[in-house]
Amino acid sequence: MRSYWFRRIAGAAGVLLLVVCVNFFLFRLMPGDAVSSIVDPRFSPEAKAELRNLFGLDQPVCTQFLIYVRRMLTFDFGLSFLSQQPVWGEIKSRLPNTVALLGSAMLLSAALGTWLGVQAARRRGGRLERLVLFSGSVSFSFPSFFVQLVLLLGLAYWLPLFPLRGSVSIPPPTGALAAALDYAWHLALPAASLVMLGFGSWAIYVRNLMVKALGDDYVLAARARGLSERSIVWRHAFRTTLPPIVTIFLLSLPGVLSGAVITETVFSLHGVGKFLLDSILGHDYPAAGAAFYMLALVTVAANLAADAAYRLADPRIRLGRNGGD
Amino acid sequence: MIAVTAAGILGPMMFSEPASTSVARPFAPPLWASGDAPPPLRVTLSGNETETAFEWRWDAPETITLTGDVLFSSPPASSSLELVLPDGGRVTLAGLDGARRRHIDIDGRDLDFRERLGLSPFDDAMKLLFPRNGRYRLVITGDIPPEQVEIELSAPGGAWGFLGTDQRGRDVFHLLLLGVRVSLLVGISATLLASFIGLSAGLTSGYVGGAFDSLVMRLVDLLLSIPVLPILMVIVGIWGRGLWQLVLVLGLFSWMGSARTIRSMVLSLREACYVENLRSIGAPTRYILFRHLLPEALPLLLATVTLGVPGAILAEAGLSFLGLSDPRIISWGRMLHEAHGFGAFTAGAWWLILPPGLGIALICLIFLDIGRALEEKADPRLSAGGRR
Repeated sequence: MRSYWFRRIAGAAGVLLLVVCVNFFLFRLMPGDAVSSIVDPRFSPEAKAELRNLFGLDQPVCTQFLIYVRRMLTFDFGLSFLSQQPVWGEIKSRLPNTVALLGSAMLLSAALGTWLGVQAARRRGGRLERLVLFSGSVSFSFPSFFVQLVLLLGLAYWLPLFPLRGSVSIPPPTGALAAALDYAWHLALPAASLVMLGFGSWAIYVRNLMVKALGDDYVLAARARGLSERSIVWRHAFRTTLPPIVTIFLLSLPGVLSGAVITETVFSLHGVGKFLLDSILGHDYPAAGAAFYMLALVTVAANLAADAAYRLADPRIRLGRNGGD
Repeated sequence: MIAVTAAGILGPMMFSEPASTSVARPFAPPLWASGDAPPPLRVTLSGNETETAFEWRWDAPETITLTGDVLFSSPPASSSLELVLPDGGRVTLAGLDGARRRHIDIDGRDLDFRERLGLSPFDDAMKLLFPRNGRYRLVITGDIPPEQVEIELSAPGGAWGFLGTDQRGRDVFHLLLLGVRVSLLVGISATLLASFIGLSAGLTSGYVGGAFDSLVMRLVDLLLSIPVLPILMVIVGIWGRGLWQLVLVLGLFSWMGSARTIRSMVLSLREACYVENLRSIGAPTRYILFRHLLPEALPLLLATVTLGVPGAILAEAGLSFLGLSDPRIISWGRMLHEAHGFGAFTAGAWWLILPPGLGIALICLIFLDIGRALEEKADPRLSAGGRR
């Protein structure tokens, strides 16, 4: 058990190390003066000298690399070129918005997709199942930004039901409840678009799992014993599909993350994904590296959590060799 | 599929001008959805006509273009080209006196044209020229009638073409057809590259096994753990936005899926009898891999490739939409980027937004369809009926 976790954490650390290496070497391998990727050329000479010292730019590459690793671990990302503010502060202000978007989208699409998948598996060959299979493949083909642009056009421009951009209205409304409602109103279209795009694959996956689970012998025995259909489906068959569902839920995070970058750009939300794009387009290298590192961190954390959750949710693995059968 | 490819290759040949020239006013709606937009205006004076009339029942056009030549037998003392408005007022468009031969080349947005009309540089000359509906006349007045006249007054129509125009006045239908090429090219080449890498990695690691196998699988896990779009953004943003760079990067980050599939297939095939026989008669590893295992893997590989193309197309479209693609290359993602960034929303230009997105979805659905059919042939257990 312990060796398993050791390997997993070592794997996670390996990914982070790779990300840090990419950040470090990629930004230095660019054409032109590598130093200008860290020290903004517009800074005053004193500031440049100070930053040179801080980053150890006159020292050999290995030392620079170690300094960089230490800074990454302590979330010391330096100053952004565009805003001259600490990058960590910028990211901190944007992180809650991204988390809210991702969290709500993932939970809603998982819930909707799971429910639809279970219903489709119960009535095999029915209309719902065919609809689920069809919409799954269709929702995969449509580019996410297209669906979002169409939603924007339809529901925010032609019928002004939703705001055109932003995470909050300007000026933000007073009062906690009004502010919360306003935030939810701004989040509604982005989250809805992500759910529309995501529930299809969820539904197909859960449907496949449930079809297999409902075909098991114990289900037949339970039916013979007279258990209610509802109890069979939800309390027994569905339970066996929980471990893979939880795992896939957490593993879908990297994919949703990529979708979030696009979503935040289309709806102009104040989030980390848009921050990454803006820094890349604005050649703000400290900020871009930091945003990428944060996104990779979230991905790695999600993978580790998926592992942990899988082992927790499936008693066969948890009790495994030590107890139970 | 064939229709799409043919449209992509043959379609642009139908157009006489390159796609970048602007053909009509920006954000012109399609002809079949134009409502009451004005048609193109074209009024000419030729031969020795000095007057012609036209009806105008719409809003003022964006701009006019007045070109031509006037030839007199001798230089007139006073002569001018005028536009007579429905209420009788006259606006001098160009002075013709003092020279025997006069060439006119005026765009309604020219600053000196506005100055001559007595407007400030910020006023719209068109409002002065087309104040109301009615009958307008284009006349040449003066003391001597001209000998030879070849003048054209034209204004681009308010609507254009099959799918309207974009923010630069380019024909959207033409752009749409050009985009087919890019989508297909990037999607197929990136997936071919990824499959090539995946095939080699999967075959060798599955067959050889041992430390090499676990190394490759570690690498696969590592690459799968990196969020794809962010790293694509970082790499493309730093290393430039060329088309082939995009293909290379997409290929390098999508080979993991096919590697895993091939590897599991090789693992199961490795234990087959004929492989053992081959090994016992001394066949070298490379022979076994290339002559025997590879042909077994091909159907599955074909299915994986076809199913991987939509992913590559969507990734390319995503990166183009974010602005990280070559601006000189017209792709559907780029069209959506320009629609998002250059005001298609405030202009309500749905013809810029719907066609490219629907096109991407259509191509992806086509490939998914073909891929699933191929997959069913290669692996009969997956088909819905399941006859075996």
